[in-house]
Amino acid sequence: MKPATISPGSSKGEESKFKRMFVDIWKYRMTYTLLIPGLIWLILFAYMPMAGLSLAFKHFRANDGIWGSEFIGLENFEYLFRDPAFAAAVWRTLYVNIIKLFITFPFPILLALLLNELRMRRYKKVLQTAFTFPHFLSWIIVSGIIINVLAYDGFVNSLLSLVGLPTVNFLGSEQNFYPMIILTDIWKSTGWGAIVFMAAISGIDQEQYEAAQIDGATRIQQMFRVTLPNIMPTVTIMFILSVGGLMSSGFDQIFNLANAATQNVSQVLDVYIYRVTFQSSSDFGFSSAVSLFRSIVNMVLLLLADRAAKWMGGDGLFR
Amino acid sequence: MSTLARKTKKAKFSTNRITALDIFIFIVLTLGALAILIPFWNVIMISFATQREYAENPLLMWPKEPTLNSYKALFADGSIGSGYWNTIKLMAVGLPLSMFLTVSMAYGLSRPKFPGKKPIFFLVLFTMIFNGGIVPLYLVMKDLHLTGSLWSVILAGSFSVFNMIIMMNYFQGLPESLMESARLDGAGEWRILFSVVLPLAAPIMATIALFYGVAFWNSWYDAMVFLRKADQLPLQNVLRAIIVESQTNASNATTIGQGGGAESFSTGMKMAAVFVTIVPIMAFFPMLQKHFAKGVLTGAIKT
Repeated sequence: MKPATISPGSSKGEESKFKRMFVDIWKYRMTYTLLIPGLIWLILFAYMPMAGLSLAFKHFRANDGIWGSEFIGLENFEYLFRDPAFAAAVWRTLYVNIIKLFITFPFPILLALLLNELRMRRYKKVLQTAFTFPHFLSWIIVSGIIINVLAYDGFVNSLLSLVGLPTVNFLGSEQNFYPMIILTDIWKSTGWGAIVFMAAISGIDQEQYEAAQIDGATRIQQMFRVTLPNIMPTVTIMFILSVGGLMSSGFDQIFNLANAATQNVSQVLDVYIYRVTFQSSSDFGFSSAVSLFRSIVNMVLLLLADRAAKWMGGDGLFR
Repeated sequence: MSTLARKTKKAKFSTNRITALDIFIFIVLTLGALAILIPFWNVIMISFATQREYAENPLLMWPKEPTLNSYKALFADGSIGSGYWNTIKLMAVGLPLSMFLTVSMAYGLSRPKFPGKKPIFFLVLFTMIFNGGIVPLYLVMKDLHLTGSLWSVILAGSFSVFNMIIMMNYFQGLPESLMESARLDGAGEWRILFSVVLPLAAPIMATIALFYGVAFWNSWYDAMVFLRKADQLPLQNVLRAIIVESQTNASNATTIGQGGGAESFSTGMKMAAVFVTIVPIMAFFPMLQKHFAKGVLTGAIKT
């Protein structure tokens, strides 16, 4: 970048720098045209809504729109933090997602380990197909299946009464709601989650297994002493990354599995946002305040997760 | 390839005797798979059963007198048909649009250097970390006069930064010399993208198209928020109305399966609706699986 001869006036150097910049930009004009369609989309449907969050500090009136509404400072937030339903929704979200995280997290690892040890290769393929399939279905479809199977007169309850056990109201009771959320989450996403760990396992150096076998290690010992320690970095990263979603995950599932009987326990933050925005008399300023709160917390969690993952020696969220 | 080598090596080392461990693993995994498959099976069988048979035995594994009545009732209602049609429209417009947006931006950002690359990339990434959420998006759609039209759902779902980055990573792995030589021949970047890069990118194109396809097929939240009229709703929303919302309404009523009298079997109809919504995913699943099994996505899932 440095010119060989020192230019007498700095202004002239600046000028040529600018000129060079424009020449450069002109040179790459084609590249920018590639970016334009995507950038237009991002401006319209990502950055405009972001700017629209400024409604959180405004008193929304439909006639004035997002930009013309009156500025009222933090009033919406004062209402928000005084709303007991909001605080309850925040804690409920964290509670559900944290227990979900701790209980569901080991399942994909376990599945990957077991599939890895399965020696029938054809059958392994079949199993993987079965396990990953539910991931590609929407929570609406899965709810349809689950509601049917766990209904009062459904498959599971019929089976229970057949063997003489009492039937259970799986989906219609507050106290069973969170266990059902965990169970259905395991049902739907274990197979997909296992793929990352399977990939990590297939990357393990085979000499380690050979060495272990020469030392007389059994297969179970190999599993715990070779396979597991080798995939531990992946395990750590995946765990940290799921911490990033503590405030945002699970809406589709909870919203579709909830019903009138579980109305109270199902009101996590996103459900709360939906209800205050589109079901009760809507005050978009107030809902924007909730959204802004949610977005900021999400961002902080994600950035913390990213930092932690990088600190652990992983790629982080964005390479 | 490496897995294959590993397997043969492993086979050489491990004994071929079937141990207790093998049996244990076989049983656990089979039970797990059954726990996944039986609910599907149950849904399908109920959709083909008569109400009488279902009432006698909800454990139904094979209907003795299979019938298509539930399907006839479902399609006679018409809402599933319009849902299908709306979802097809959604995908017919949304898929090409999303592929265009994704491919062009991914290729643009995969160029090694141009002024402003870093800030632009940051602006793109930032939307993954921070988003306005549904409320301001709804208001923006309203300002653009798109609410109440399928366009709102199409546009809202037509770009994913996540998919774009997967594709960008793939493009970055292509040899730069190919594009350079096309450039020397006088081809512009768009020409290079369509005639040099995309022919080399078939696997990733298929993967990303399947991703968008599944996302469009499964999308419901945008439609629930942006659309008002029932006849505009995509399939998932129709299904939701049939299953989830009717369940909420019916929770007060005592009988779910007997509403409507003799000719309509509402549980059967619900299950028929579920099955009809699953079938296309089932049809495409082998393709999907082939792609993510290939490892194209392992890097993607990690991020």
